[in-house]
Amino acid sequence: MSDSTLPASGVALATPVRVAVARKRRSKRMRTLFPYLLVAPAVLYLLMITLYPGAYAVYQSFFLVRFNSWTPIGFENYADLFADREFWAALWNTLVIGVLALALECFFALMLAYFAYRDPWVQGWRIAFLVPMLFMPSAVAFIYKLAFLDGRIISDLLMRVGLISENLAIPSSIWLSRATLILADVWQWTPFLFIIFVAALQGQDEEVEEAARLDGASWWQIFWNISLPLMRPVIAVALVLRGIDITTMFANVFIITKGGPGGATETISYFIYRLGFKSFNFGYASAASVIMLVITIVVAQLVVKRAFRSGRT
Amino acid sequence: MASQRGSRGESLLVRYLILTAWALFCLAPVLWFLSIGLRPRTEIVTPQPIYWPTFSLDAWHMIWSDWPMAAYLRNSVLAVIGSVLIDLVLAIPAAYSLARYTYRGREDIGFYILSTRMMAPAIVAIPIFFLFRNMGLLDTVWALMLIYAAINLSVVTWIIRSYMLDIPKELEDAARTDGASDMRILWEIIIPAILPGIITAGVIGAIFAINEFLFTLLIASTSRAYTMSVALANFTGGSDGVIYNAIALVAFLAFIPVFLVVVAIQKHLSRGLTMGAVKG
Repeated sequence: MSDSTLPASGVALATPVRVAVARKRRSKRMRTLFPYLLVAPAVLYLLMITLYPGAYAVYQSFFLVRFNSWTPIGFENYADLFADREFWAALWNTLVIGVLALALECFFALMLAYFAYRDPWVQGWRIAFLVPMLFMPSAVAFIYKLAFLDGRIISDLLMRVGLISENLAIPSSIWLSRATLILADVWQWTPFLFIIFVAALQGQDEEVEEAARLDGASWWQIFWNISLPLMRPVIAVALVLRGIDITTMFANVFIITKGGPGGATETISYFIYRLGFKSFNFGYASAASVIMLVITIVVAQLVVKRAFRSGRT
Repeated sequence: MASQRGSRGESLLVRYLILTAWALFCLAPVLWFLSIGLRPRTEIVTPQPIYWPTFSLDAWHMIWSDWPMAAYLRNSVLAVIGSVLIDLVLAIPAAYSLARYTYRGREDIGFYILSTRMMAPAIVAIPIFFLFRNMGLLDTVWALMLIYAAINLSVVTWIIRSYMLDIPKELEDAARTDGASDMRILWEIIIPAILPGIITAGVIGAIFAINEFLFTLLIASTSRAYTMSVALANFTGGSDGVIYNAIALVAFLAFIPVFLVVVAIQKHLSRGLTMGAVKG
């Protein structure tokens, strides 16, 4: 690079200068391209698992797929899907379970984080609360399956304290089945939000709080008027990340309820799995995937982009 | 740090009551599940739940003799480590590019990488299944490695990028005036400086990979590729139903190393979990 600064004086130097200029031009182009080259392998890799499957799903969604025979059927899969009550039910279940679980998790995590963040034992609380999050989701699903269904522990405990008089019929109750899934999610993932909220609270300026406290503000006023507004961007990011994972809930449904009773706990992920890999109706399942994909892209553009912009310092 | 609000003793009490209650809510099911793993099968699904079981190592012997547990472990470890390595090789240069250069389309590329985190596995599950089938990779650890790497690449890239943004630019500029190339700066200055960030990203990617369920369920069909996460769901003995004590023990086997590693990187956890959006 430094040789390009050679003085271009005299005819004898013409050739080396030309070489130097050419090298400089090449290195300049190289420098513009360099950041793209660095990021390209990652982007290509991700395109392979997003663009390719996306295009494949769109293509397949216009076919009736029976093992290895593909019959083009136009928009029939989509028409069937929009008329399919199970599809709408799956969307509805995903929404109901997701919103309830997310609201509970956010409430508990905020409360616990606010109580714990200036506590001398905050490390200890964090480790204790973390434990459920570090179990494999499939193992957590079995804990809840055993406690609520097969082992009837919850029924037994509730009977012992006299809240109910006979075993709960969880598998046949729509809301108890949903509640089992919600509770399992709250148990495992509240710590996710808790850890993030504690970090955000610890990052806040202690002096502002102290000043407010000296002015006689109650802890609730401090929380509501000072801490919460400052935390808003962090809460947005955390809820977006958790929201994504809740709406893709699969292992719990697969292991605990299998979508029952009567499809009341079938989430959209389980719906796609069941149609594709249990009924082998791949074209139809692909149509459902495409609709999910469109919803995802819209949500990503509207919500996630904004959350991550504001969350960045 | 400890600003004791001594004047309000009762609020302190309420605080500790609530925190303790949640800690119990977290730990009680875990301890109970551990007791499931250490009892004989006959005392698990019973007409009346048994709270004080007899101690037994049946499950421990069973998981090693009745199932290819060593193979499940090997598959999990290989797939997880392989996927994290793929991620780091791809993510470090990508993060460097996103954090340190200004160029057209940078924001869009960064957001595209982030947005792949939002893809529900179910959406791409069917095409990925056919892709691997056509490549002859179904039921192999290679397929798991590739798919775990793809799932986590966004998270790993964004975490590393966030740590790179924290490094003062002067550090690089000094090296650059000494004539160091960009690659050398990345290798000799940036990477050592953000090593904790790289480790955090790797650990978080590894945890997600260990937990992965849906893709593994579709890709693996024998002990050639079954991981612990999915093998659990197959611990059923036909008419005997689910074999809970074996499941519980395997769950704890996987839990202990994860727990130790996470406690070690505790300080970085909030930042890792938010892909760098929250600085812990």
